[in-house]
Amino acid sequence: MKQNNDPYYIDFPGRIQAIQEAMANLNIDAYLGSRLRTLSWTLDAFCPWRSFIVIPARGLPTAFTFVIDAARVADDSWLDEDQVFGFAPMGGQDQIEQISDFIRDRLKGGKGRVGIESGMSNYLPEGNLTHYEYQQFKAALPDAELVNAHTIIDRLAMIKDPGTINRFKEASRIVDVGHQAVFEALSNGGYKEMTETEIAGLAAYAMRKAGSEWEWSFTGGNEIASGYRTGYMGGACTPATRKKIVAGEPLMVDIHAMFKLGLGDHAHNYFIGSATDRQWWHANNFIDIVKRTIEAYRPGITPSQLAEEMMDFAESREFADYMVPGFEHGIGMMGDEWRIGLNDGPFPYWTNPDHVYRENEVLICAMQYACPEEAIGFRYENPIVLTPGGCDVMSKYSLGVELIV
Amino acid sequence: MAERLTYLSDAWRDEAEKRLKAELEPEKMKFITSSMSNIYTGCPDGKDRYLFFGFRDGKLDTLSIGEGEPPGAEFRITGSYDTFARISRAELGSHRALMTGKLKLKGNMVKALKLASIADRLNRVLSTIPAAY
Repeated sequence: MKQNNDPYYIDFPGRIQAIQEAMANLNIDAYLGSRLRTLSWTLDAFCPWRSFIVIPARGLPTAFTFVIDAARVADDSWLDEDQVFGFAPMGGQDQIEQISDFIRDRLKGGKGRVGIESGMSNYLPEGNLTHYEYQQFKAALPDAELVNAHTIIDRLAMIKDPGTINRFKEASRIVDVGHQAVFEALSNGGYKEMTETEIAGLAAYAMRKAGSEWEWSFTGGNEIASGYRTGYMGGACTPATRKKIVAGEPLMVDIHAMFKLGLGDHAHNYFIGSATDRQWWHANNFIDIVKRTIEAYRPGITPSQLAEEMMDFAESREFADYMVPGFEHGIGMMGDEWRIGLNDGPFPYWTNPDHVYRENEVLICAMQYACPEEAIGFRYENPIVLTPGGCDVMSKYSLGVELIV
Repeated sequence: MAERLTYLSDAWRDEAEKRLKAELEPEKMKFITSSMSNIYTGCPDGKDRYLFFGFRDGKLDTLSIGEGEPPGAEFRITGSYDTFARISRAELGSHRALMTGKLKLKGNMVKALKLASIADRLNRVLSTIPAAY
Protein backbone atom coordinates (compact mmCIF):
# COMPACT_ATOMS: atom_id res chain seq x y z
CA MET A 1 0.00 0.00 0.00
CA LYS A 2 1.09 3.56 -0.69
CA GLN A 3 2.61 5.65 2.06
CA ASN A 4 0.24 8.05 3.70
CA ASN A 5 2.12 11.09 2.34
CA ASP A 6 0.46 10.23 -0.98
CA PRO A 7 -2.34 12.81 -1.47
CA TYR A 8 -4.57 10.03 -2.79
CA TYR A 9 -3.88 7.68 0.12
CA ILE A 10 -6.93 6.08 1.70
CA ASP A 11 -6.72 4.04 4.88
CA PHE A 12 -8.44 0.91 3.60
CA PRO A 13 -7.50 -1.27 6.61
CA GLY A 14 -9.05 1.48 8.74
CA ARG A 15 -12.23 1.31 6.67
CA ILE A 16 -12.42 -2.46 7.19
CA GLN A 17 -11.88 -2.01 10.92
CA ALA A 18 -14.68 0.56 11.06
CA ILE A 19 -17.00 -1.86 9.24
CA GLN A 20 -16.06 -4.62 11.69
CA GLU A 21 -16.82 -2.35 14.64
CA ALA A 22 -20.24 -1.57 13.16
CA MET A 23 -20.79 -5.29 12.51
CA ALA A 24 -20.01 -6.06 16.15
CA ASN A 25 -22.57 -3.49 17.27
CA LEU A 26 -25.19 -5.21 15.14
CA ASN A 27 -24.12 -8.76 16.09
CA ILE A 28 -23.12 -9.48 12.52
CA ASP A 29 -20.54 -12.24 12.16
CA ALA A 30 -19.71 -11.80 8.48
CA TYR A 31 -20.58 -9.19 5.88
CA LEU A 32 -21.25 -10.21 2.29
CA GLY A 33 -20.95 -7.10 0.12
CA SER A 34 -22.06 -7.21 -3.49
CA ARG A 35 -22.69 -3.59 -4.49
CA LEU A 36 -20.22 -1.92 -6.79
CA ARG A 37 -19.96 1.00 -4.38
CA THR A 38 -19.05 -1.35 -1.53
CA LEU A 39 -16.42 -3.10 -3.63
CA SER A 40 -14.79 0.17 -4.69
CA TRP A 41 -14.92 1.57 -1.17
CA THR A 42 -13.35 -1.47 0.43
CA LEU A 43 -11.02 -2.85 -2.25
CA ASP A 44 -9.67 0.19 -4.09
CA ALA A 45 -10.15 -1.73 -7.34
CA PHE A 46 -12.70 -1.42 -10.12
CA CYS A 47 -14.80 -4.59 -10.31
CA PRO A 48 -16.66 -4.62 -13.63
CA TRP A 49 -17.74 -8.25 -13.29
CA ARG A 50 -20.06 -9.65 -10.65
CA SER A 51 -18.01 -9.51 -7.49
CA PHE A 52 -18.37 -9.92 -3.75
CA ILE A 53 -16.43 -9.10 -0.63
CA VAL A 54 -16.63 -11.10 2.56
CA ILE A 55 -15.63 -9.17 5.66
CA PRO A 56 -15.13 -11.40 8.69
CA ALA A 57 -15.61 -10.24 12.27
CA ARG A 58 -11.84 -9.78 12.56
CA GLY A 59 -8.95 -9.74 10.12
CA LEU A 60 -8.63 -9.06 6.44
CA PRO A 61 -11.51 -9.20 3.99
CA THR A 62 -11.55 -11.48 0.97
CA ALA A 63 -12.79 -10.53 -2.47
CA PHE A 64 -14.43 -12.85 -4.96
CA THR A 65 -14.77 -12.08 -8.63
CA PHE A 66 -15.02 -13.77 -12.01
CA VAL A 67 -11.80 -15.74 -12.43
CA ILE A 68 -10.83 -13.94 -15.64
CA ASP A 69 -10.41 -10.72 -13.68
CA ALA A 70 -9.28 -11.93 -10.26
CA ALA A 71 -5.52 -11.54 -10.78
CA ARG A 72 -6.02 -7.99 -12.09
CA VAL A 73 -8.27 -7.06 -9.16
CA ALA A 74 -5.64 -8.44 -6.77
CA ASP A 75 -2.98 -6.39 -8.55
CA ASP A 76 -5.00 -3.17 -8.37
CA SER A 77 -6.33 -3.70 -4.86
CA TRP A 78 -4.52 -3.15 -1.58
CA LEU A 79 -5.16 -6.82 -0.81
CA ASP A 80 -2.69 -9.47 -1.91
CA GLU A 81 -3.56 -12.47 -4.05
CA ASP A 82 -4.34 -14.67 -1.05
CA GLN A 83 -7.30 -12.40 -0.34
CA VAL A 84 -8.75 -12.33 -3.86
CA PHE A 85 -10.48 -15.42 -5.17
CA GLY A 86 -11.71 -16.08 -8.68
CA PHE A 87 -14.87 -18.04 -9.25
CA ALA A 88 -15.53 -20.24 -12.25
CA PRO A 89 -17.94 -22.92 -13.42
CA MET A 90 -16.03 -25.77 -11.81
CA GLY A 91 -16.76 -28.12 -8.97
CA GLY A 92 -16.51 -26.19 -5.72
CA GLN A 93 -15.55 -23.02 -7.54
CA ASP A 94 -18.86 -21.46 -8.57
CA GLN A 95 -19.61 -18.26 -6.70
CA ILE A 96 -22.35 -19.65 -4.48
CA GLU A 97 -20.44 -22.70 -3.27
CA GLN A 98 -17.09 -20.93 -3.03
CA ILE A 99 -18.44 -17.99 -1.04
CA SER A 100 -20.84 -19.96 1.16
CA ASP A 101 -18.05 -22.45 2.02
CA PHE A 102 -15.81 -19.51 2.86
CA ILE A 103 -18.43 -17.87 5.08
CA ARG A 104 -19.37 -21.15 6.77
CA ASP A 105 -15.74 -21.69 7.74
CA ARG A 106 -15.85 -18.35 9.52
CA LEU A 107 -19.05 -18.96 11.46
CA LYS A 108 -19.01 -21.00 14.64
CA GLY A 109 -20.70 -24.26 13.70
CA GLY A 110 -22.03 -22.57 10.57
CA LYS A 111 -24.31 -20.45 12.76
CA GLY A 112 -24.43 -16.69 12.91
CA ARG A 113 -25.69 -13.51 11.29
CA VAL A 114 -24.49 -12.61 7.82
CA GLY A 115 -24.96 -9.06 6.57
CA ILE A 116 -26.03 -8.78 2.95
CA GLU A 117 -26.86 -5.90 0.61
CA SER A 118 -30.45 -5.79 -0.58
CA GLY A 119 -32.54 -2.94 -1.92
CA MET A 120 -33.18 -1.11 -5.15
CA SER A 121 -31.64 1.72 -7.10
CA ASN A 122 -32.05 3.91 -10.15
CA TYR A 123 -28.45 3.09 -10.89
CA LEU A 124 -28.44 -0.09 -12.95
CA PRO A 125 -25.05 -1.50 -11.87
CA GLU A 126 -25.84 -1.03 -8.17
CA GLY A 127 -25.22 -4.70 -7.46
CA ASN A 128 -27.67 -5.58 -4.72
CA LEU A 129 -27.92 -9.30 -4.06
CA THR A 130 -30.35 -10.75 -6.57
CA HIS A 131 -33.36 -12.80 -5.52
CA TYR A 132 -31.71 -15.90 -6.94
CA GLU A 133 -28.41 -15.26 -5.18
CA TYR A 134 -30.22 -14.66 -1.91
CA GLN A 135 -32.12 -17.94 -2.21
CA GLN A 136 -28.96 -19.86 -3.06
CA PHE A 137 -26.91 -18.38 -0.21
CA LYS A 138 -29.77 -18.98 2.19
CA ALA A 139 -29.96 -22.63 1.14
CA ALA A 140 -26.18 -23.03 1.32
CA LEU A 141 -26.02 -21.48 4.80
CA PRO A 142 -29.08 -23.05 6.45
CA ASP A 143 -27.98 -22.22 9.99
CA ALA A 144 -27.10 -18.61 9.27
CA GLU A 145 -29.44 -15.63 9.33
CA LEU A 146 -29.08 -13.28 6.37
CA VAL A 147 -29.81 -9.67 7.36
CA ASN A 148 -29.81 -6.55 5.22
CA ALA A 149 -26.88 -4.47 6.42
CA HIS A 150 -25.85 -2.05 3.66
CA THR A 151 -26.46 0.91 5.94
CA ILE A 152 -23.13 0.06 7.61
CA ILE A 153 -21.28 0.96 4.41
CA ASP A 154 -23.59 3.82 3.46
CA ARG A 155 -23.06 5.55 6.79
CA LEU A 156 -19.28 5.09 6.80
CA ALA A 157 -18.90 6.19 3.16
CA MET A 158 -20.95 9.37 3.49
CA ILE A 159 -18.26 11.72 4.80
CA LYS A 160 -15.26 11.73 2.51
CA ASP A 161 -11.65 11.52 3.75
CA PRO A 162 -8.90 13.74 2.24
CA GLY A 163 -7.60 10.99 -0.07
CA THR A 164 -11.03 10.47 -1.59
CA ILE A 165 -11.62 14.21 -1.98
CA ASN A 166 -8.24 14.60 -3.68
CA ARG A 167 -9.07 11.79 -6.08
CA PHE A 168 -12.30 13.60 -6.99
CA LYS A 169 -10.41 16.86 -7.44
CA GLU A 170 -7.90 15.24 -9.77
CA ALA A 171 -10.71 13.61 -11.77
CA SER A 172 -12.31 17.06 -12.04
CA ARG A 173 -9.04 18.60 -13.21
CA ILE A 174 -8.93 15.96 -15.94
CA VAL A 175 -12.52 16.74 -16.94
CA ASP A 176 -11.49 20.37 -17.36
CA VAL A 177 -8.78 19.23 -19.78
CA GLY A 178 -11.51 17.46 -21.72
CA HIS A 179 -13.66 20.59 -21.83
CA GLN A 180 -10.75 22.66 -23.07
CA ALA A 181 -10.15 20.13 -25.86
CA VAL A 182 -13.82 20.24 -26.86
CA PHE A 183 -13.79 24.03 -26.92
CA GLU A 184 -10.70 24.11 -29.12
CA ALA A 185 -12.12 21.50 -31.50
CA LEU A 186 -15.42 23.34 -31.88
CA SER A 187 -13.90 26.81 -32.32
CA ASN A 188 -13.23 28.59 -35.62
CA GLY A 189 -15.81 26.56 -37.49
CA GLY A 190 -14.43 23.25 -36.23
CA TYR A 191 -17.94 22.22 -35.23
CA LYS A 192 -19.08 21.98 -38.87
CA GLU A 193 -19.94 18.39 -39.85
CA MET A 194 -19.00 17.30 -36.34
CA THR A 195 -21.33 14.83 -34.59
CA GLU A 196 -22.23 14.35 -30.95
CA THR A 197 -20.39 11.03 -30.88
CA GLU A 198 -17.26 12.69 -32.26
CA ILE A 199 -17.33 15.29 -29.49
CA ALA A 200 -17.75 12.52 -26.94
CA GLY A 201 -14.74 10.75 -28.41
CA LEU A 202 -12.42 13.71 -28.60
CA ALA A 203 -13.22 14.63 -25.02
CA ALA A 204 -12.51 11.05 -24.03
CA TYR A 205 -9.17 11.08 -25.85
CA ALA A 206 -8.07 14.31 -24.20
CA MET A 207 -9.09 13.04 -20.76
CA ARG A 208 -7.41 9.67 -21.26
CA LYS A 209 -4.24 11.46 -22.31
CA ALA A 210 -4.51 13.40 -19.06
CA GLY A 211 -4.80 10.18 -17.06
CA SER A 212 -8.48 9.33 -16.90
CA GLU A 213 -9.18 5.64 -16.54
CA TRP A 214 -12.69 5.69 -17.95
CA GLU A 215 -15.63 7.87 -18.99
CA TRP A 216 -17.30 6.12 -16.12
CA SER A 217 -20.94 7.11 -16.46
CA PHE A 218 -23.32 4.30 -17.36
CA THR A 219 -25.31 6.88 -19.32
CA GLY A 220 -23.17 6.29 -22.38
CA GLY A 221 -19.88 7.67 -21.13
CA ASN A 222 -19.71 11.27 -22.26
CA GLU A 223 -23.18 12.70 -22.73
CA ILE A 224 -23.47 15.11 -25.64
CA ALA A 225 -26.73 16.69 -26.80
CA SER A 226 -27.40 19.33 -29.41
CA GLY A 227 -30.47 21.19 -30.63
CA TYR A 228 -33.81 19.82 -29.46
CA ARG A 229 -31.99 17.03 -27.59
CA THR A 230 -30.83 19.56 -25.00
CA GLY A 231 -34.41 20.27 -24.02
CA TYR A 232 -36.08 16.95 -23.28
CA MET A 233 -38.88 17.61 -20.81
CA GLY A 234 -37.64 16.66 -17.36
CA GLY A 235 -34.69 14.95 -18.99
CA ALA A 236 -31.14 14.71 -17.76
CA CYS A 237 -29.69 11.80 -19.70
CA THR A 238 -28.29 12.22 -23.18
CA PRO A 239 -25.99 9.52 -24.55
CA ALA A 240 -24.29 10.96 -27.64
CA THR A 241 -25.86 10.26 -31.03
CA ARG A 242 -24.81 10.67 -34.65
CA LYS A 243 -26.68 14.01 -34.82
CA LYS A 244 -24.60 16.70 -36.47
CA ILE A 245 -23.81 19.98 -34.74
CA VAL A 246 -25.74 22.76 -36.44
CA ALA A 247 -25.36 26.56 -36.25
CA GLY A 248 -28.09 28.28 -34.27
CA GLU A 249 -28.55 25.36 -31.88
CA PRO A 250 -27.48 24.88 -28.28
CA LEU A 251 -24.93 22.22 -27.41
CA MET A 252 -24.59 20.45 -24.06
CA VAL A 253 -21.29 18.74 -23.21
CA ASP A 254 -21.45 16.55 -20.09
CA ILE A 255 -18.22 14.61 -19.69
CA HIS A 256 -16.85 12.15 -17.16
CA ALA A 257 -13.39 11.10 -16.03
CA MET A 258 -12.23 8.62 -13.41
CA PHE A 259 -9.08 8.86 -11.32
CA LYS A 260 -8.39 6.07 -8.82
CA LEU A 261 -12.14 5.45 -8.58
CA GLY A 262 -12.76 9.14 -7.86
CA LEU A 263 -15.22 10.58 -10.33
CA GLY A 264 -15.21 13.75 -12.40
CA ASP A 265 -18.52 14.91 -13.86
CA HIS A 266 -18.92 18.35 -15.32
CA ALA A 267 -21.34 19.73 -17.91
CA HIS A 268 -20.68 22.84 -19.96
CA ASN A 269 -22.98 24.51 -22.49
CA TYR A 270 -22.59 26.33 -25.79
CA PHE A 271 -24.46 28.15 -28.51
CA ILE A 272 -23.23 27.26 -31.98
CA GLY A 273 -22.72 30.01 -34.56
CA SER A 274 -25.18 32.50 -33.17
CA ALA A 275 -27.90 32.90 -30.56
CA THR A 276 -31.10 34.91 -30.42
CA ASP A 277 -32.03 37.25 -27.57
CA ARG A 278 -34.58 34.70 -26.45
CA GLN A 279 -31.93 31.98 -26.34
CA TRP A 280 -29.67 34.26 -24.27
CA TRP A 281 -32.58 34.93 -21.91
CA HIS A 282 -32.78 31.23 -21.25
CA ALA A 283 -28.99 30.97 -20.90
CA ASN A 284 -28.82 33.84 -18.41
CA ASN A 285 -31.60 32.29 -16.33
CA PHE A 286 -29.66 29.08 -16.21
CA ILE A 287 -26.33 30.69 -15.28
CA ASP A 288 -27.95 32.79 -12.56
CA ILE A 289 -29.62 29.82 -10.90
CA VAL A 290 -26.40 27.80 -11.03
CA LYS A 291 -24.51 30.63 -9.32
CA ARG A 292 -27.23 30.97 -6.70
CA THR A 293 -27.30 27.26 -6.03
CA ILE A 294 -23.54 27.03 -5.56
CA GLU A 295 -23.68 29.95 -3.16
CA ALA A 296 -26.46 28.24 -1.20
CA TYR A 297 -24.76 24.90 -0.56
CA ARG A 298 -23.43 24.61 2.97
CA PRO A 299 -23.57 22.18 5.86
CA GLY A 300 -26.89 22.29 7.70
CA ILE A 301 -29.23 22.75 4.77
CA THR A 302 -31.34 20.01 3.21
CA PRO A 303 -32.15 19.12 -0.41
CA SER A 304 -35.75 20.21 0.05
CA GLN A 305 -34.79 23.59 1.56
CA LEU A 306 -32.43 24.22 -1.31
CA ALA A 307 -34.98 23.16 -3.94
CA GLU A 308 -37.65 25.42 -2.46
CA GLU A 309 -35.29 28.38 -2.36
CA MET A 310 -34.15 27.86 -5.95
CA MET A 311 -37.60 27.21 -7.34
CA ASP A 312 -38.81 30.41 -5.66
CA PHE A 313 -36.02 32.24 -7.44
CA ALA A 314 -36.92 30.60 -10.77
CA GLU A 315 -40.56 31.54 -10.24
CA SER A 316 -39.60 35.15 -9.53
CA ARG A 317 -37.75 35.25 -12.85
CA GLU A 318 -40.57 33.39 -14.66
CA PHE A 319 -38.54 30.37 -15.71
CA ALA A 320 -39.72 27.85 -13.10
CA ASP A 321 -41.55 25.95 -15.85
CA TYR A 322 -38.18 25.13 -17.37
CA MET A 323 -36.41 23.85 -14.26
CA VAL A 324 -36.25 20.21 -13.26
CA PRO A 325 -36.83 20.67 -9.51
CA GLY A 326 -33.72 18.84 -8.28
CA PHE A 327 -30.33 20.37 -7.64
CA GLU A 328 -28.02 17.49 -6.83
CA HIS A 329 -27.35 13.83 -6.96
CA GLY A 330 -25.21 11.64 -4.78
CA ILE A 331 -21.70 10.52 -5.64
CA GLY A 332 -18.97 8.41 -4.14
CA MET A 333 -16.22 6.12 -5.33
CA MET A 334 -17.08 4.25 -8.54
CA GLY A 335 -20.48 2.58 -8.26
CA ASP A 336 -21.90 5.08 -5.79
CA GLU A 337 -24.19 7.31 -7.79
CA TRP A 338 -27.55 8.89 -7.36
CA ARG A 339 -28.93 8.65 -3.83
CA ILE A 340 -27.64 11.09 -1.23
CA GLY A 341 -27.12 10.01 2.37
CA LEU A 342 -28.82 7.05 3.96
CA ASN A 343 -31.90 5.11 2.99
CA ASP A 344 -34.06 6.96 5.51
CA GLY A 345 -36.41 9.04 3.41
CA PRO A 346 -40.15 8.80 2.80
CA PHE A 347 -39.59 6.87 -0.44
CA PRO A 348 -37.30 3.87 0.05
CA TYR A 349 -33.96 4.11 -1.74
CA TRP A 350 -34.54 7.68 -2.91
CA THR A 351 -32.79 10.70 -1.46
CA ASN A 352 -34.28 11.83 1.80
CA PRO A 353 -35.41 15.42 1.10
CA ASP A 354 -34.71 16.23 4.74
CA HIS A 355 -31.16 14.91 4.70
CA VAL A 356 -28.98 17.44 6.52
CA TYR A 357 -25.73 18.09 4.69
CA ARG A 358 -22.51 17.83 6.66
CA GLU A 359 -18.97 19.04 6.14
CA ASN A 360 -16.92 16.88 3.75
CA GLU A 361 -19.91 15.32 2.07
CA VAL A 362 -19.34 15.21 -1.68
CA LEU A 363 -22.23 15.48 -4.11
CA ILE A 364 -22.85 16.45 -7.67
CA CYS A 365 -24.42 19.87 -7.89
CA ALA A 366 -26.73 19.14 -10.79
CA MET A 367 -29.31 21.21 -12.62
CA GLN A 368 -31.27 20.71 -15.79
CA TYR A 369 -33.00 23.53 -17.59
CA ALA A 370 -35.28 22.42 -20.41
CA CYS A 371 -37.66 24.21 -22.74
CA PRO A 372 -38.76 21.57 -25.25
CA GLU A 373 -41.08 23.87 -27.18
CA GLU A 374 -38.12 26.10 -28.04
CA ALA A 375 -35.72 23.19 -28.53
CA ILE A 376 -33.34 24.52 -25.91
CA GLY A 377 -31.87 23.28 -22.66
CA PHE A 378 -28.77 23.41 -20.49
CA ARG A 379 -27.21 21.13 -17.92
CA TYR A 380 -24.90 21.82 -15.02
CA GLU A 381 -23.08 19.12 -13.13
CA ASN A 382 -20.05 19.57 -10.93
CA PRO A 383 -18.80 17.65 -7.90
CA ILE A 384 -18.77 19.82 -4.78
CA VAL A 385 -17.40 19.16 -1.34
CA LEU A 386 -19.13 20.84 1.57
CA THR A 387 -16.79 23.07 3.55
CA PRO A 388 -17.47 24.61 6.97
CA GLY A 389 -18.92 27.75 5.42
CA GLY A 390 -20.16 26.63 2.02
CA CYS A 391 -18.83 24.41 -0.71
CA ASP A 392 -15.79 23.94 -2.90
CA VAL A 393 -16.58 23.43 -6.57
CA MET A 394 -14.17 20.83 -7.93
CA SER A 395 -14.27 21.46 -11.67
CA LYS A 396 -12.74 24.89 -12.21
CA TYR A 397 -13.82 25.30 -15.83
CA SER A 398 -15.39 28.71 -16.21
CA LEU A 399 -19.11 28.87 -15.66
CA GLY A 400 -21.04 30.23 -18.61
CA VAL A 401 -22.81 29.49 -21.86
CA GLU A 402 -20.24 30.16 -24.56
CA LEU A 403 -20.88 31.24 -28.14
CA ILE A 404 -18.82 29.22 -30.61
CA VAL A 405 -18.16 30.75 -33.99
CA MET B 1 4.08 -57.26 -17.81
CA ALA B 2 4.87 -55.26 -14.68
CA GLU B 3 3.21 -56.15 -11.43
CA ARG B 4 0.01 -54.20 -10.85
CA LEU B 5 -0.07 -52.35 -7.56
CA THR B 6 -3.35 -51.83 -5.78
CA TYR B 7 -4.35 -48.19 -6.26
CA LEU B 8 -3.82 -46.16 -3.06
CA SER B 9 -2.11 -49.06 -1.29
CA ASP B 10 1.15 -48.55 0.62
CA ALA B 11 3.06 -50.19 -2.23
CA TRP B 12 1.41 -47.86 -4.74
CA ARG B 13 2.32 -44.85 -2.56
CA ASP B 14 5.95 -45.96 -2.36
CA GLU B 15 6.12 -46.35 -6.11
CA ALA B 16 4.41 -42.98 -6.63
CA GLU B 17 6.89 -41.27 -4.34
CA LYS B 18 9.83 -42.89 -6.13
CA ARG B 19 8.58 -41.86 -9.57
CA LEU B 20 7.55 -38.33 -8.60
CA LYS B 21 10.92 -37.65 -7.00
CA ALA B 22 12.76 -39.09 -9.98
CA GLU B 23 10.75 -37.48 -12.75
CA LEU B 24 9.64 -34.14 -11.38
CA GLU B 25 12.66 -31.96 -10.87
CA PRO B 26 12.22 -28.73 -8.89
CA GLU B 27 12.59 -26.66 -12.06
CA LYS B 28 9.81 -28.62 -13.74
CA MET B 29 7.72 -27.99 -10.66
CA LYS B 30 8.50 -24.25 -10.85
CA PHE B 31 10.06 -24.48 -7.36
CA ILE B 32 6.59 -24.37 -5.83
CA THR B 33 5.85 -24.64 -2.16
CA SER B 34 2.30 -25.84 -1.88
CA SER B 35 0.13 -28.72 -0.76
CA MET B 36 -2.86 -30.58 -2.05
CA SER B 37 -5.19 -33.17 -0.59
CA ASN B 38 -7.14 -35.43 -2.92
CA ILE B 39 -10.10 -36.83 -1.07
CA TYR B 40 -11.49 -40.07 -2.47
CA THR B 41 -15.03 -40.84 -1.46
CA GLY B 42 -16.48 -44.34 -1.76
CA CYS B 43 -13.33 -46.39 -2.11
CA PRO B 44 -13.93 -50.11 -3.00
CA ASP B 45 -13.95 -51.03 0.69
CA GLY B 46 -16.58 -48.37 1.34
CA LYS B 47 -14.19 -46.01 3.13
CA ASP B 48 -13.03 -42.48 2.27
CA ARG B 49 -9.32 -41.88 1.83
CA TYR B 50 -7.00 -39.01 1.15
CA LEU B 51 -3.83 -38.65 -0.85
CA PHE B 52 -1.77 -35.74 0.41
CA PHE B 53 1.01 -34.08 -1.59
CA GLY B 54 3.36 -31.58 -0.01
CA PHE B 55 5.93 -29.73 -2.12
CA ARG B 56 8.69 -27.52 -0.80
CA ASP B 57 10.75 -25.49 -3.25
CA GLY B 58 9.63 -27.75 -6.05
CA LYS B 59 10.62 -30.99 -4.28
CA LEU B 60 8.12 -33.59 -3.13
CA ASP B 61 8.31 -33.31 0.61
CA THR B 62 5.39 -35.43 1.74
CA LEU B 63 3.21 -38.01 0.07
CA SER B 64 0.81 -39.71 2.41
CA ILE B 65 -2.31 -41.80 2.18
CA GLY B 66 -4.76 -42.15 5.00
CA GLU B 67 -8.32 -42.33 6.21
CA GLY B 68 -10.36 -39.63 7.88
CA GLU B 69 -9.57 -35.92 7.91
CA PRO B 70 -6.56 -35.12 5.70
CA PRO B 71 -3.77 -32.78 6.79
CA GLY B 72 -4.47 -29.11 6.09
CA ALA B 73 -3.57 -28.24 2.51
CA GLU B 74 -3.63 -25.20 0.27
CA PHE B 75 -5.89 -27.05 -2.16
CA ARG B 76 -8.41 -29.71 -1.41
CA ILE B 77 -9.91 -31.74 -4.25
CA THR B 78 -12.84 -33.98 -3.47
CA GLY B 79 -14.33 -36.62 -5.75
CA SER B 80 -15.39 -40.21 -5.94
CA TYR B 81 -12.83 -42.98 -6.05
CA ASP B 82 -14.21 -43.88 -9.45
CA THR B 83 -13.61 -40.34 -10.79
CA PHE B 84 -10.02 -40.25 -9.58
CA ALA B 85 -9.46 -43.77 -10.95
CA ARG B 86 -10.78 -42.71 -14.35
CA ILE B 87 -8.44 -39.72 -14.33
CA SER B 88 -5.52 -41.97 -13.41
CA ARG B 89 -6.42 -44.31 -16.26
CA ALA B 90 -6.55 -41.27 -18.59
CA GLU B 91 -10.20 -41.97 -19.34
CA LEU B 92 -11.25 -38.57 -17.96
CA GLY B 93 -9.37 -35.28 -17.99
CA SER B 94 -9.00 -33.54 -14.65
CA HIS B 95 -10.16 -30.23 -16.17
CA ARG B 96 -13.31 -31.85 -17.52
CA ALA B 97 -13.91 -33.50 -14.16
CA LEU B 98 -13.74 -30.10 -12.48
CA MET B 99 -15.88 -28.37 -15.11
CA THR B 100 -18.61 -30.98 -14.86
CA GLY B 101 -18.59 -30.92 -11.07
CA LYS B 102 -17.26 -34.47 -10.69
CA LEU B 103 -14.37 -33.01 -8.75
CA LYS B 104 -14.69 -30.15 -6.26
CA LEU B 105 -11.78 -27.84 -5.67
CA LYS B 106 -11.44 -25.84 -2.50
CA GLY B 107 -8.75 -23.17 -2.54
CA ASN B 108 -7.79 -20.05 -4.42
CA MET B 109 -8.78 -20.59 -8.05
CA VAL B 110 -6.32 -18.01 -9.35
CA LYS B 111 -3.45 -19.78 -7.64
CA ALA B 112 -4.85 -23.12 -8.80
CA LEU B 113 -4.73 -21.88 -12.39
CA LYS B 114 -1.05 -21.11 -11.94
CA LEU B 115 -0.52 -24.66 -10.74
CA ALA B 116 -2.76 -26.39 -13.28
CA SER B 117 0.08 -27.42 -15.58
CA ILE B 118 2.07 -28.68 -12.62
CA ALA B 119 -0.87 -30.78 -11.46
CA ASP B 120 -1.13 -32.20 -14.97
CA ARG B 121 2.55 -33.16 -14.87
CA LEU B 122 2.01 -34.84 -11.54
CA ASN B 123 -1.01 -36.76 -12.80
CA ARG B 124 0.90 -37.88 -15.88
CA VAL B 125 3.59 -39.45 -13.70
CA LEU B 126 1.02 -41.16 -11.50
CA SER B 127 -0.78 -42.56 -14.53
CA THR B 128 2.35 -44.46 -15.51
CA ILE B 129 2.17 -46.64 -12.39
CA PRO B 130 0.68 -50.04 -13.29
CA ALA B 131 -2.28 -50.15 -10.97
CA ALA B 132 -5.20 -52.36 -10.13
CA TYR B 133 -8.33 -50.42 -9.21
